[in-house]
Amino acid sequence: MEKTMEANIVRFTHLLRLAGVKVGSGEVIDALNALTVIDFSDREQVKTALRSVLVKRKGERDIFDRTFDLYFAPLEERERQQMEHQMRQDQKKQQIEEAEQDLTFEEENLDLTEEEKYLYSQMDQEDKGRIKDYLKKAEAGKSREWEPNVKSLIETIVKGALRKWLHSHQDQVDLKERVSTGDLELDYILEDLGQKAPSGEDSLMYEDMQHIKDKDLPKANMLIRRLAKHLVTRISRRYKRSKRHQVLDLRRTIRDNIRYGGTMFKLKYRSKRIQKPKLILLCDVSGSMASYASLVLQFIYGIHSVLGQIESFIFSDDLERISQHFQPGSDFNQLMVDIMNKSNVWGGGTRLHTSLKTLRKKHSALLTSDAYLIILSDTKTEAIGDTLQELQNIKKCVKDILWLNTLPEQEWQNSISTRTFQALVKMYPCNTLNDIEQITRSKIFS
Amino acid sequence: MENIRKGFEEVGYISDAEVIVTVYLALKLQKPILIEGEPGVGKTELGKVLSQIFHADLIRLQCYEGLDENKALYEWNYQKQLLKIQIMKEAQACENIEHDLFSREYLLERPLLKAIQSENTSVLLIDEVDKTDEEFEAFLFELLSDFQVSVPELGTLTARHIPMVVLTSNNERELSDGLKRRCIYLYLDFPAVEREIAIIKAKVPEINEKLTQQIAKAVHLIRQNREIKKKPSIAETLDWARALLTLNEDSLSEKLVKQTINILLKTKADIESFNKQIGAAALDEFARS
Repeated sequence: MEKTMEANIVRFTHLLRLAGVKVGSGEVIDALNALTVIDFSDREQVKTALRSVLVKRKGERDIFDRTFDLYFAPLEERERQQMEHQMRQDQKKQQIEEAEQDLTFEEENLDLTEEEKYLYSQMDQEDKGRIKDYLKKAEAGKSREWEPNVKSLIETIVKGALRKWLHSHQDQVDLKERVSTGDLELDYILEDLGQKAPSGEDSLMYEDMQHIKDKDLPKANMLIRRLAKHLVTRISRRYKRSKRHQVLDLRRTIRDNIRYGGTMFKLKYRSKRIQKPKLILLCDVSGSMASYASLVLQFIYGIHSVLGQIESFIFSDDLERISQHFQPGSDFNQLMVDIMNKSNVWGGGTRLHTSLKTLRKKHSALLTSDAYLIILSDTKTEAIGDTLQELQNIKKCVKDILWLNTLPEQEWQNSISTRTFQALVKMYPCNTLNDIEQITRSKIFS
Repeated sequence: MENIRKGFEEVGYISDAEVIVTVYLALKLQKPILIEGEPGVGKTELGKVLSQIFHADLIRLQCYEGLDENKALYEWNYQKQLLKIQIMKEAQACENIEHDLFSREYLLERPLLKAIQSENTSVLLIDEVDKTDEEFEAFLFELLSDFQVSVPELGTLTARHIPMVVLTSNNERELSDGLKRRCIYLYLDFPAVEREIAIIKAKVPEINEKLTQQIAKAVHLIRQNREIKKKPSIAETLDWARALLTLNEDSLSEKLVKQTINILLKTKADIESFNKQIGAAALDEFARS
């Protein structure tokens, strides 16, 4: 009996880890110990006890509760859910097979990913019909004669059409990749957890910032401002810590101890002056970053509201200073409208090298040895070589350059620009709010 | 567990099953409790209440930036040591002086050492631990897991009685995994309307039922608003209740809300957000519904 309980708890904690909760082996032992001192027949008590020892973050409490309810559901309920999961899997497999039959060119299957085939299967008949018509017309033409690689061209066009469709139907399709454990029971719980993710603060933290839906924007804005505040608090703390490295103030010590006949009875210390670092923020507002722009501005707004020593710029084709817009007590919506209306660079192409050159030439006074340059961008820019050269020039003048990259971290390896800049500057993923939170926790200003 | 619940009731601390189970586990497993939550939800109060119900001494360490071992654990009484040296110099009896100077006589016990060396079980309240630096957090590890501390001149001092340790954090920064791993975790949220009604009744018993419900509902609505940065704490709710009682009011009104909102909201920005987003009339209407 006990062995079963131990195995069950270990399996449950494994599931929690897969769902994103950090659980160490020490905590598993605590969980087992906790179960020996509480009323095991009281479900709520068991749940509370396990939550107290296994969950150590506010954001993980909700994941724990849902995982617990699914994992420790009554047996009939579990069997029903497993069956439903299996049926969904079979249905998806069948849909993909049907999509494969439609998506052919000259009787050859198009080279599409499983995800793309699944996307096609989710389209309504009218949209599917358009793609099928296109393929039929392409087959009827004589394109092979003048373009032997026409199949790959058609594949690219079909992929583009699927992506476009996805963009306008994001709410209908769930494309999140699921971890397969090989254990049917755990798999269905993981799938269920993904499907029933609440649209609260916690799930927003892991959403790609460009996919945050309009209705969630106010929440995301609040979160991002809070994170900006955390980041700034972190900066000031980092420097206040130096207060502890006190130096004996000999002059004051001698003066104060003359009354004791020169015996050093009272020691006086000299504390180091606290200095916050100077920050220069460069935010990419080019076309490729358009979907992040609103949140980017929220981030700058959040930092400005707490920290005075910051200079902010936006860039695309060239650089533009926006610090003057961030006045104390200014309304964010008005500020956003002002910046967008007055800006000449909003939504343009990306010429980071030109922007960096402008920074170096026109704002050289800002580039001092105690300043950090923070670049918020997806690294997609023209003239990578020239940009690297400019970054090298600026790096000599400032304390450090930190790059907050909005490109998902898994895509960094395939991005030449990211790889190139990464060799020179410290780069941090900044694709989700959770990434920003990680940044606020890490010692980036050191 | 029943004893804890009764103890909480006796001292007027209104809690739910989660708090009781967590405290019970912390006592049984002899682990510290780490309490996180918004300011004013009763984190520090829980430490004080524990000392009351277990009739234990409350030893409090208020954390702040730059707090170090000297202020938290122990310090050698430098002045006393110096005096001793002066006296011994004149007495020409220098034997064992070095040993004497680093004996317990010259040791100034700070809260952590006091808790370890306490003759009876005590409650050690490490308040606002998120305000300290990471180095200090790491320094706490030995104390929190083994209930012992090392003083180089005296060796390892082990707890005579394992203290009940309560750490609180306002979540201003993320605490290290090491610290969290050593603790039982409790997140205290703002109370639901029903629990807040119970708290008001327990702390301000003179107030009538109708006004109690209106206050709890109104405060709950204000806390739901995202634009209001500093949410009213339980203490502020109680202050508001007492203020309304002093004004001899038995029901909320738009005028009354306007006159007393500054008891709940303490910044100009929050009061402006309140007026813009909710408004005294709407709050009054909601609370009366």
